[in-house]
Amino acid sequence: MTSSPSETETAAEAVEAPTVHPLQEYADRVAAAVEGTATITFDTVKVEVPADRWVSALTTARDDLGLVFFSWLSAVDWASDVQVGDPFPGEVDDRFEVLATLSDISEGRRVTFTTTLSKETPSIASLVEVFAGANWHEREAYEMFGIDFEGHPNLIHLYLPDAFQGNPLRKSFPLLSREVKPWPGTVDVEAMPGSDDEEEPADGPTEENPEA
Amino acid sequence: MVLDQDLVRHLSESSVSVELQTEEMTLNIGPQHPSTHGVLRLVARVDGERAFDVQPVIGYMHRGYEKLSEVRTYPQITTLVNRIDWVSGYANEVPFIVAAEKLLGIEVPERAQFIRLILCELARISSHLIFMASYPLELGAATPLFFALRERERVLDLLEGVTGGRFHPNFNRIGGVKPAYGSGSSTRKVIQDLPAGFLAETRDAMDKVMEAVDELEQLVADNEIILARTKGIGILPPEVAASYGVSGPNIRASGVKFDLRKVEDYLPYHLFDFDIPVGENGDCWDRWHVRLLEIRQSVRIVQQAIDGIPSGPLQAKVPKVIKVPQGETYVRAENPKGEMGYYLVSNGNQGPYRLKIRSASFSNISILPWILEGVLVPDIIAIMGSLDFVLGDVDR
Repeated sequence: MTSSPSETETAAEAVEAPTVHPLQEYADRVAAAVEGTATITFDTVKVEVPADRWVSALTTARDDLGLVFFSWLSAVDWASDVQVGDPFPGEVDDRFEVLATLSDISEGRRVTFTTTLSKETPSIASLVEVFAGANWHEREAYEMFGIDFEGHPNLIHLYLPDAFQGNPLRKSFPLLSREVKPWPGTVDVEAMPGSDDEEEPADGPTEENPEA
Repeated sequence: MVLDQDLVRHLSESSVSVELQTEEMTLNIGPQHPSTHGVLRLVARVDGERAFDVQPVIGYMHRGYEKLSEVRTYPQITTLVNRIDWVSGYANEVPFIVAAEKLLGIEVPERAQFIRLILCELARISSHLIFMASYPLELGAATPLFFALRERERVLDLLEGVTGGRFHPNFNRIGGVKPAYGSGSSTRKVIQDLPAGFLAETRDAMDKVMEAVDELEQLVADNEIILARTKGIGILPPEVAASYGVSGPNIRASGVKFDLRKVEDYLPYHLFDFDIPVGENGDCWDRWHVRLLEIRQSVRIVQQAIDGIPSGPLQAKVPKVIKVPQGETYVRAENPKGEMGYYLVSNGNQGPYRLKIRSASFSNISILPWILEGVLVPDIIAIMGSLDFVLGDVDR
C-alpha cells in the first residue's frame, strides 16, 4: 500500500496519531451510502448491512458507487458445535454470515458486503434481479448451507445430485472420510531449512567425523 | 412489371420457414464432449438450427475443496488449490499463499516475489497457448494446435525445471517459494534457487514464443473461415459481463480495461511496464485476439523481470508449525482465466476455519444461458470455446 502525499508530509505527527488505513475514507463513504457499518480487515473493506436491506444496499452500491462487477457470494457458518476442523476459540454466536463481494471495473475498488442470518430461519431476498451472476452463487449457498433465497427463479441444487441430503459446508456436517480414518498429514511436518528448531542431522558431517 | 424486392425476399423467407417448421427437440451435449474441456453437460431446446433455453449442468468435477480445506493445514492446501485450474496450476497457489501471508504479517523477500511473478506469467502463457491450440481446433482448424503446443511444451519445461512439476508445481510456501529439496544433511541450510541457466533459457524461450505468436496470428487471423465463424458471433456487452462476474480476457474483449494486475498488490506488477489489450466488439474473435495480445504482454513482463530480478533470500523466516492468527481477508489475483480469489477466515489454528474459493471459470460460464440464447447450434461450440474455461475451475 502506498501512502498518500499528505501522510508523508506529516510523518513526524503520524507517529503519535493513530494510523489511518488508506482505505478508511472509501470504506466510510460506502458505509454511509448503504447505511451500514464498515470495518477494514487486512486490506479488505467489509460493510455490514441488516438482512432486510440486503438487496437495496447492494442495488445502491451498484447504481451510486459504481460497484457493477459481481465477484462472488457465499456464506460462513459460525457455529460453536463443530464436526470438522477446529472450532473458533471462545464463545461463538451461532449464525450464518452471508457475504458478497462487488468490485468496480475502473479503479478496481472492491467491497465485501455482509449480513447476518439466524440459524433457525436462514432466509434472505435473492440478488438475481440486481446481479444476474448471483444465480449460481445463490444456488451453491443454498445447497451447501441450506440458506433460502427468496425470489430466486430456480433454487435447485447446483453441484450436488438432486437427491442429496444435507448441507455439506455446514459445520455440523461431518466429513465422512475424516470420521473413518484420521488424516495422517498433521504429523508429517517438514522442517524449514535454517530454522532454529531444526534437529541436527544424525548422519551429517561432524567435527569428529568430517568424512561421514 | 417490377417486383417489390423487399416483398419477394419476405415471401421467400416465409415459405422456407413454413416448409422447415420442425418439432422442437431437446439436444444434449456432453458431459463427455471434446470441446467442453472437462465434463460439462449442456441441455438445450432446439428449434430447427436455433438453440434456446440452454442449461449447463455442472458438478461432475466437484471435489469439495472448500470443505476439505477445513481439515487441512495451510501448506497442505497449496496441493489442493493448484488442482483447481489445472492448465495454470501455479497461478492458483499465489493468491491463497498471499492471503495466509497477509494474516501472518509476513513480508516476502523480493527475489521470491519476482520468481512468483515470472512463474505466474509463464503459467499465463501456457494457459493461453492451450487456448490458441484448442480454439481453432474446435472450429475445424487443426494446424495451429501443433504450433501452440510446441511452444507450450517449451514453457512447461521451464516450469518443470524450477518447480519439478508441469501442471501441479506446489512450489509456493508461506513466506516465499520452495526451500531445499529433500531434508538430508547435504542440502541442509542450502536454499534451492532457480536452476542454473534458467534465466537465459527463459529469455530464449520467450523469443521463440514471440515468433510462434506471430505465426499463430498469421495462421488464424488470415483464415477466412475462422473469421466468418467468430466475427460478430457471441457478442457480450460489458455491462452484462460485469453483472455475471465474467472476468479476465473475456471482459477485456468486451472493451473493459480491467486487469487486477494493475489494481491489486499481490505481486509487484507496478514495477513493470505492460499494456492491457482490450477488444472492440466483445465477440468470439475479440476473445481470441485479446488472449493472443496478452501472450505478448506476458512475454514483455517476463523479459523485464529477468532483467530486474534482485538477489537475496527466497524465504522469509517462518515458524516450523504455521498457525495463522485470527482474521479474515479476501485476496484476488488476475489468473489466466480471470479473477481468482480466496476469502480466508482463520481461527488462529493450523488450518482455515472457512476458505471460499472464487474461481474465474465458474462465473465465466454462468453467462452461457444468456449468451447461447437463440444462437445457431454450430455457434454453441464457437462461443463456448471462446470463453476458455476449465471444468476443474468451474466445479472446484
